[in-house]
Amino acid sequence: MALSLSNFLYSSLLLLLPFGLMADAATVTFDWNVTWVRANPDGKFERPTMGINNQWPLPLLNITKGDNVIININNQLGNQSTSFHFHGLFMNGTTEMDGPVGATQCGIPPGSSFTYNFTIDQPGTYWYHAHQRGRYPDGLRGPLLVNDLESPYLGQYDEEVLLTLSDWYHDEMPELIAKFISVANPTGAEPVPNSALINDTQNVTVSVQPGRTYLFRMVNMGAFASQYFWIEGHTMTIVEVDGVYTEPAEASMIYLTAAQRYSFLLTTKNEISSNFAFVASMDHDLFDKVPEGLNSNTTGWLVYDSNVERPTPALLDAFDAFDDFNLVPQDGQKLLTNVDYVMTLDMKMDNLGDGANYAFFNDVTYVRPKVPTLYTALSTGASATDVTIYGGNTNAFVLAKDEVIEIVLNNDDPGKHPFHLHGHNFQAVLRSDEDTGFYDPVNHTAFPAVPMRRDTVWVKPNGHIVLRFTSDNPGVWLFHCHIEWHVNSGLVATIIEAPLEMQKTISIPSDHWQVCRDSQTPYAGNAAGNTVDLLDLTGENKSPAPLPAGFTAKGIVALVFSIISALLGMVVISWYGVAPIGTSELQSAEKRIAEAGTEVK
Amino acid sequence: MVNVFSVPVFFVCFRESLETSIIVSVLLAFLKQTLGPEREPRVWWGIIIGIAISLCIGCGMIGAFYGLGKNHFSGTEDIWEGAFGLLAALIITAMGAALLRVSKLQDKWRVKLAQALEAKDNKKRSAGDRFKRWAEKYAMFLLPFITVLREGLEAVVFIGGVGLATPASAFPLAVMCGIGAGCLVGYLVYRGGNAAKLQLFLIISTCFLYLVAAGLFSKAVWFLENNTWNHVVGGDAAETGAGPGSYDIRQSVWHINFGSPLLNGGGGWGVFNSILGWQNSATYGSVLAYNLYWVAVICGFLAMRYNEAKGHWSLMKPKAKRISESDAASDTSSQQGEVIAETYEPKKVSTDFDAARSSARQLDA
Repeated sequence: MALSLSNFLYSSLLLLLPFGLMADAATVTFDWNVTWVRANPDGKFERPTMGINNQWPLPLLNITKGDNVIININNQLGNQSTSFHFHGLFMNGTTEMDGPVGATQCGIPPGSSFTYNFTIDQPGTYWYHAHQRGRYPDGLRGPLLVNDLESPYLGQYDEEVLLTLSDWYHDEMPELIAKFISVANPTGAEPVPNSALINDTQNVTVSVQPGRTYLFRMVNMGAFASQYFWIEGHTMTIVEVDGVYTEPAEASMIYLTAAQRYSFLLTTKNEISSNFAFVASMDHDLFDKVPEGLNSNTTGWLVYDSNVERPTPALLDAFDAFDDFNLVPQDGQKLLTNVDYVMTLDMKMDNLGDGANYAFFNDVTYVRPKVPTLYTALSTGASATDVTIYGGNTNAFVLAKDEVIEIVLNNDDPGKHPFHLHGHNFQAVLRSDEDTGFYDPVNHTAFPAVPMRRDTVWVKPNGHIVLRFTSDNPGVWLFHCHIEWHVNSGLVATIIEAPLEMQKTISIPSDHWQVCRDSQTPYAGNAAGNTVDLLDLTGENKSPAPLPAGFTAKGIVALVFSIISALLGMVVISWYGVAPIGTSELQSAEKRIAEAGTEVK
Repeated sequence: MVNVFSVPVFFVCFRESLETSIIVSVLLAFLKQTLGPEREPRVWWGIIIGIAISLCIGCGMIGAFYGLGKNHFSGTEDIWEGAFGLLAALIITAMGAALLRVSKLQDKWRVKLAQALEAKDNKKRSAGDRFKRWAEKYAMFLLPFITVLREGLEAVVFIGGVGLATPASAFPLAVMCGIGAGCLVGYLVYRGGNAAKLQLFLIISTCFLYLVAAGLFSKAVWFLENNTWNHVVGGDAAETGAGPGSYDIRQSVWHINFGSPLLNGGGGWGVFNSILGWQNSATYGSVLAYNLYWVAVICGFLAMRYNEAKGHWSLMKPKAKRISESDAASDTSSQQGEVIAETYEPKKVSTDFDAARSSARQLDA
């Protein structure tokens, strides 16, 4: 066939183009030693924090989209194990790098090393944090920004500004967790933070030039508190949430739950006569009791002129935040229809037999299995599609590949909860009002045609949310409340997506196995570590037994004995009463009468 | 219905006045049958002063609550309840045994004994002995006083707690009906006491009093344990309802989520709690206390009977001298001397009050 020269050149350019792009993708490597660092970010209390390479706050990860990231971790904490999760990254094809201990890896014990190796193919604002019992609120969290050279908003802003929000505790997590999950805390009151931080400090100033547009990228790295955020005198134009570009949406106040991110454009004023305050305020609705003296507002300033005074922000009567449900994704992804599988999760908080308060999905509270779920899926052959092998306390769901999945979450608790899905973002098709009860598939508000997408969304008290996503990412993904206290008390579900596909495509590096050996954690078999009989779960990790209902044997025996002793007592009294007076009793009575005798008559 | 008559308030008043009126009516019936109305004022004084003091303290507490906006006594409420309960249980136990013992004497001896109690005691006695005599003398005052004081305080505290959500219009009718119903039951007991044989009446009412006392003792222990639990949890545990969290699972012997005598005035369960010490959430402490109380009472009565028959407590030497002293005393009256020789049977008590009184008067002449 004859090809014209121009056609030939054109097609060869097309062939070369991908190579050109790939040549730009770099590999960035980091060597991180996890160490204890003393810090005092709120100026009120110095305490040990978990840092990296003897520094706290943790470094900002600034990665270009398409880069391959390699992080070599060495745990030098000496007394606690840890892991790292890169919140919001899909880890497509690299589920073993996702990070949650007990789901995709064993915890990295002190002295051991572990390498995370993954590629970032998505734009937006993210963060990374430890994903083991309470580690990240002790300081092991930091921001992760992805540079997108193809952003639809490129050219609309001059500079980027990063603002991280966080709550902060003075006490360390192990003792706070022990007090939280205990018989002495039967109502499950979560510990209230001691202060709040912006950029891991307070009194932040952001120098701005007049008449410019800035892209503010915000992350809430807190353990518990959701925060309202507003900037006095300026409007924010939201352009991205949780890594999903949105149509520009104007807001005067935004609401970030723990783990959520927002990017917005801010155009500064044209004169430099005054500075403006911005405020992050913790949502008191989450706190059981607000302790006296808690300052839940953190203030910073947009500084136009450093010589002008910084104003005190005005007090507000009410919080009126932008409802993220109304955001429209910029790529216009339409509502997923023809749902193949519905995961229904009814959540509640209740007490178990040890008197402590736990969180439940479908009457089961999450307990970490003996073998990390991913290793169970990889080592059990054809049985990997049988949900029972993953344990009775893991809230496990097995999904097929490339199906439309719907998660219905019914909140049977009078509290707000932010829910996060690993490995995906989801379409938020419905968020009900407070106190509307359980979702009714027949009778509900119409779903939006282009629903909002993100990876962390909050549900209202005694309400429900409906989420949809496509199961296009074989791996083990957790779905859980991102309030760290509730993760510890079991508000976690495990999704095993396309396990047979996983067995073909996922391979575990040798250092991951080594970490399991170092921590004496089994890494093959079902949730109880049984490699022979996969349906035999004897010895698996279980939650405490439920509270005894009503009268147990002990109670019945006690009641019967009490009744018998009362009856016996009354028999003795009657016997005594009927018996005639004894001789000596009469004599002593007479004696007393006689002694008083002279005065009686 | 709710706006004119508050059911929780009714039940609170009913059960407090029930306990009080039963104890008081037993006392009054006994006194009327044996000693005549002259002794009755003491009982009424005990009631009146008890009501006055409990009203003062109660109004003070409620005033402090509204004025200072804080439930100051809720932290110590359980300690008050526990202490009062113990005291009341002890007094009822002692009184009940004493009443039953004295009732075995013939009328004339009872009268003389009572009069002897009144007489001024010039002889030197040990402090313990003097206290014993003083307690006997004023027993008729002390028992109703302590009972009314305790019940009154309980009623004020409960109504204060229950009544916060209730409109003021619902109070008067409920309070009057509650107190009225309790007094009615007490009156019926009193009439029954007057009509029946004193001995039988006393045996039945003493059994009942001891049931109440056993319940009180068990409850006292329960309140003290509840106080400890409140401090562990940091608040009024009953506010979490009757479900998990309102009790210490480590101490629990049984727990059912309904039938709490604390919630919302308690209703019928509150009456059950008053009379028998019922708890929907029993602890090792409260169950053991209940059973040990009965064991102690049984041993006590057995020991008393032994002492009465043999003249000394078991495991102790008999006092030989006693008989010769009473021989000397018996010379003062020939009738007394005759009586000693025989095993004494209590004379059948005449149901006619006047006949009993006149026979007592005759003997004194």
